[in-house]
Amino acid sequence: MRLFNWALVALTSLASADSNLTHESRNILPSTFKPAQHFRNVNLVRNINLEKSFPRETINVVIENIDNAPQQEYFLPFEQGSIGRVGGLEVKDKKEPERTGFVVDVVEVDPYSTTEYYKITLPTPLPSKQQLTLSITYYALSALTPLPAQIGQTDKQYVLHTFSAYAPSAYTTSKQKTKLKLPTVDVPDATTLPPELNAEGKEDPQKQGTSFTYGPYNELPAGAVQEVSVRYDFTKPLVHGKLLERDVEVSHWGNNVAFEERHWLTNRAATLKNHFSRVTYAQSAYYNPPSSALKELRFPLAVGSADPYFVDDIGNVSTSRFRSNMREANLELKPRYPIFGGWNYSFKVGWNSDLKEFLRRVKGASNTYVLKVPFFEGPKQAEGVEYERVVTRIILPEGAKNIKFSTTITLTSNTTSLHRTFMDTMGRTSLELTALNVVDEFRERDLVVTYEYPFSARFRKPLVIFGGLMAVFAVSWVLGNLDVSIGRKQKSV
Amino acid sequence: MAVTATNSDSPTSIFFKGETGRNTRGLLRLIILCTIAAAAVASRLFSVIRFESIIHEFDPWFNFRATKYLIQHGFYNFWDWFDDRTWHPLGRVTGGTLYPGLMVTSGAIYHFLRFLTLPVDIRNICVLLAPAFSGLTAFATYLLTSEMSDSPSAGLLAACFMGITPGYISRSVAGSYDNEAIAIFLLVFTFYLWIKAVKVGSVMWGGLTALFYGYMVSAWGGYVFITNLIPLHAFVLICMGRFSPRLYVSYTTWYALGTLASMQIPFVGFLPIRSSDHMSALGIFGLIQLVGFTEYIRAQLPSKQFQTLLRAMVLIVFGVAFGGLVLLTVSGTIAPWSGRFYSLWDTGYAKIHIPIIASVSEHQPTAWPAFFFDLNMLIWLFPAGVYMCFRNLRDEQVFVVIYAVLSSYFAGVMVRLMLTLTPIVCVAAAMALSQILDTFLVAEAPAEPSGDATKANGSASSNGSANIKDKLNSAIPESLRSTKAPLVGIYSYLSKSLTAGAVTAYLLLFVLHCTWVTSNAYSSPSVVLASRLPDGSQHIIDDYREAYYWLRQNTKQDAKVMSWWDYGYQIGGMADRPTLVDNNTWNNTHIATVGKAMSSREEVSYPIMRQHEVDYVLVVFGGLLGYSGDDINKFLWMVRIAEGIWPDEVKERDFFTARGEYRVDDEATPTMKNSLMYKMSYYNYNSLFPAGQAQDRVRGSKLPATGPELSTLEEAFTSENWIIRIYKVKDLDNLGRTHQEAGAFGKGNKRKKGGKRRGARVLRVD
Repeated sequence: MRLFNWALVALTSLASADSNLTHESRNILPSTFKPAQHFRNVNLVRNINLEKSFPRETINVVIENIDNAPQQEYFLPFEQGSIGRVGGLEVKDKKEPERTGFVVDVVEVDPYSTTEYYKITLPTPLPSKQQLTLSITYYALSALTPLPAQIGQTDKQYVLHTFSAYAPSAYTTSKQKTKLKLPTVDVPDATTLPPELNAEGKEDPQKQGTSFTYGPYNELPAGAVQEVSVRYDFTKPLVHGKLLERDVEVSHWGNNVAFEERHWLTNRAATLKNHFSRVTYAQSAYYNPPSSALKELRFPLAVGSADPYFVDDIGNVSTSRFRSNMREANLELKPRYPIFGGWNYSFKVGWNSDLKEFLRRVKGASNTYVLKVPFFEGPKQAEGVEYERVVTRIILPEGAKNIKFSTTITLTSNTTSLHRTFMDTMGRTSLELTALNVVDEFRERDLVVTYEYPFSARFRKPLVIFGGLMAVFAVSWVLGNLDVSIGRKQKSV
Repeated sequence: MAVTATNSDSPTSIFFKGETGRNTRGLLRLIILCTIAAAAVASRLFSVIRFESIIHEFDPWFNFRATKYLIQHGFYNFWDWFDDRTWHPLGRVTGGTLYPGLMVTSGAIYHFLRFLTLPVDIRNICVLLAPAFSGLTAFATYLLTSEMSDSPSAGLLAACFMGITPGYISRSVAGSYDNEAIAIFLLVFTFYLWIKAVKVGSVMWGGLTALFYGYMVSAWGGYVFITNLIPLHAFVLICMGRFSPRLYVSYTTWYALGTLASMQIPFVGFLPIRSSDHMSALGIFGLIQLVGFTEYIRAQLPSKQFQTLLRAMVLIVFGVAFGGLVLLTVSGTIAPWSGRFYSLWDTGYAKIHIPIIASVSEHQPTAWPAFFFDLNMLIWLFPAGVYMCFRNLRDEQVFVVIYAVLSSYFAGVMVRLMLTLTPIVCVAAAMALSQILDTFLVAEAPAEPSGDATKANGSASSNGSANIKDKLNSAIPESLRSTKAPLVGIYSYLSKSLTAGAVTAYLLLFVLHCTWVTSNAYSSPSVVLASRLPDGSQHIIDDYREAYYWLRQNTKQDAKVMSWWDYGYQIGGMADRPTLVDNNTWNNTHIATVGKAMSSREEVSYPIMRQHEVDYVLVVFGGLLGYSGDDINKFLWMVRIAEGIWPDEVKERDFFTARGEYRVDDEATPTMKNSLMYKMSYYNYNSLFPAGQAQDRVRGSKLPATGPELSTLEEAFTSENWIIRIYKVKDLDNLGRTHQEAGAFGKGNKRKKGGKRRGARVLRVD
């Protein structure tokens, strides 16, 4: 997938969907592009959290404007190819977390370049010689590779994470270190760097329980790379969603919101060395050891959700449970078969909820409504789930207009179209939003949609159906009274 | 039902008299018919409610897959469909070898609903098509019976019977998406139109008959039944001296248009003029021309001698035509009777000559209890109804008699043909029962005999009011001497209430029986099995879909799956993978090849599988769960079919012990133990049990202490309850060894040197 076509909208933007306008920023730069050295990283601490199946990196960096003029654009470089796997990049001011206005864009560079950049636009230009502490977080998808790539069915799984000991930077970094947070102490391999690289001349990395520290390092030029890798025990599935399609259908008449999610999951874990053995699986079921197989999916739904279904291409999957009470509604699904490394599973789940939990009428405006639904839900797994692509479609009632939406999830595209179903004459307004590289930690993020639903649109369908039936009756009455017999009329009047 | 005769003084009486009365009765009848249709649909929904909206069994999966292809690729592509995902590597010209009526019907419904923007899934249309059409069948039965009997209740009773009788439900429950789903409606409706055509003698009705006959041809191979029954009816009528211009018009219209319509189906093509099965229709068409000509001549020349001469000539011509037919058949111009047809006359034929037909359970001769099971009380009302047809033998009653006789025979020969018997049983039984009801349900006492006697010979033209007695009287012809005495009616309320009560009880029992049979015998999807947990809750055993879905998700899109042909359609439909053989069974040799691969030793099977590019082998094994429909139980058919082609290599006798037993335990013959099927079924099964305790719950036998070993296959997937086991065919060994050698090497066994040594030992001399 070419990611150059992306256009990232602002983190908190209120885009008008009616006009099909996408908030775009296209900066196509030549491959020789190097960010101007306006900044210097005074101090940089990078945290890589490896507790889930996708690493989460947090770069806390103190930047200083070394130029004479105030500067606003800070660049963050990524190796080509890896930028397509980076998701959920967010920037905050470490000192003032409430401060908003950081705009993040992917800079388009021509395809021959080896480095690509995220451009971070600060809310206000940073004056010369001033410092600012940025906190940059992002997730790297598909970053862990199982090694060995094939394991036995009950073996431990080790995954390899390869990264640079030096944080990615387009600027000179005076001081930095990288901290790793591992899920376990079982780390058979970790690249050891020579002590002379280290600023303090100590053993590199420093190990302390489950956390490893590379660095600190002294001043390094822009783009410095020191590849290191760690291999650690991660006997959990690496759940990877190739695609998640989500439909949210709002019905004012039915006072109902219908959710449906279609998942295409694959387990990126180590594949089975020998084939699947049911005997081993049945035996291991008694003591339930950690396994790289995905056996169960849990969907915590909104309280009050009802009528769940779990189906796949060939029908209902009977191995699901739905526990719903006043405090929670949990949908527990068991796939038809345990999903081992390299195996796929695609399925569809859906449920209904009361409309009033999600919809409010805007005060003052009688026909304007605000809908607040999660952008996506999906399973909530301890080991995390990553999605390559999430497509959420909001189907509003027929005749809804003036649609506006906002979300904190980075979107790549949004379109509005008409969706005709259930005897619609005109079609329902549907809003389709696409996000790339999303992880399940974002499943709480909301999508707020504002729309106008005129009173007259509400009565369109009953009137149309009434009219249609009347027409059918009228036509059949007329046809019934036609005399099409060839011969003479037998009835004498 | 027939309680329309009420007190004339009651305030409601105006609704039952005159023009209003006619309308009221029409409305009531409509409501009753709608209720019957609703009951017919509802009684078929057990499986949907208990399980889910799912396609059942085997053949429906193919129809479902074909329907999906039709709606995806359009009609013309469907017509030209060459399916390379079945019968690998041969493929199947699917578009030209199926009856498209079913798929086109559901495709049309699908597109109609899409036009109304109703987003109904094609699966739901397919699942609910059979129940929906059974509602229509009930209506068609009503029409047909109303043509047969004058009684107002006969049609409604017949519709009611048709709606819920298990004989029809067996093939039309929700999910049973097979040709029969729409074919029975078409059968009954075509017969209704035919009867109407014969009665009215109009080209329109004849044309409609032809139209629906064409639809029927496009829907089901059983159309041959109509093709032979209508000519037989015409022939019998001619022989009875009942030739009439009405018969001439309707038959010729039907034959000409119907044959043309039937030839539009690629699978039928030129069969109507080339195969013996269709020759009777052609022959009668010729005969009816001759008879018509004779009648014309007779009208011109009223001479008895001439007529006799002509009759003789007709016989001669008939003889010549028949001789010519035989000659053409022998010379090969006209295809001889097909094997399936022979098995209709000789039930032992298939078992000897075409084991593949005999291996299908629905082709077995019917057991006697099946008649009662499927038809309950109708089976004893049926002869009474047929007898009553004799009492009043008009053209249409002749039809009932012929239909009854023929289909009774066929139903006795083949379980599956119970389906064609059911409609006529319903019609005849309803005629009999309506007679009883009409006689005994009249509340008012009959008038004095003296008054009645004058009316007894009157026609049914009483002035619109429902005088049951009049109708009854008119239903009894004067020609029969036993009915010469005027029909009086029943005076005693006791006998009235007793009989009415008994009939009501029977009817209620019938409903009870039908519901019970439908719920217990005919509502299992067979893809999904249900069991009960100790606490009484339902537990679904879903191994088939588990394994099929695993195949669908985790194997290459074009991975070939070898299995016994029973599962071919399901693999195609649910796993979406190419198969070697499937339920179409058009190529016996290919099936026998699979049979041979299953029943031979690995050394023999492996080359066969390599040649057919098999990636996975799927077997069904019920030993753990006690599921008796598994492959080991079907194994002898594989052996028999393979033996039919390779009598030297596969021998059924070798699979039986010296005492002639079919065993899987320690006593099993070496051939059995070395067969691929045995090995695949029991591979690794031992390790589930403590040493030496392995138990096969279907065969009820203890298995050998050491399980079989596989060298050319490896276990790829086994479903939760072991019902489906999938094996992957190993690639060739990298070092060019056989897999047995490679396996032995891997275990560290010493290579056998026996084969290397040749000749006697020679002392080495330096």
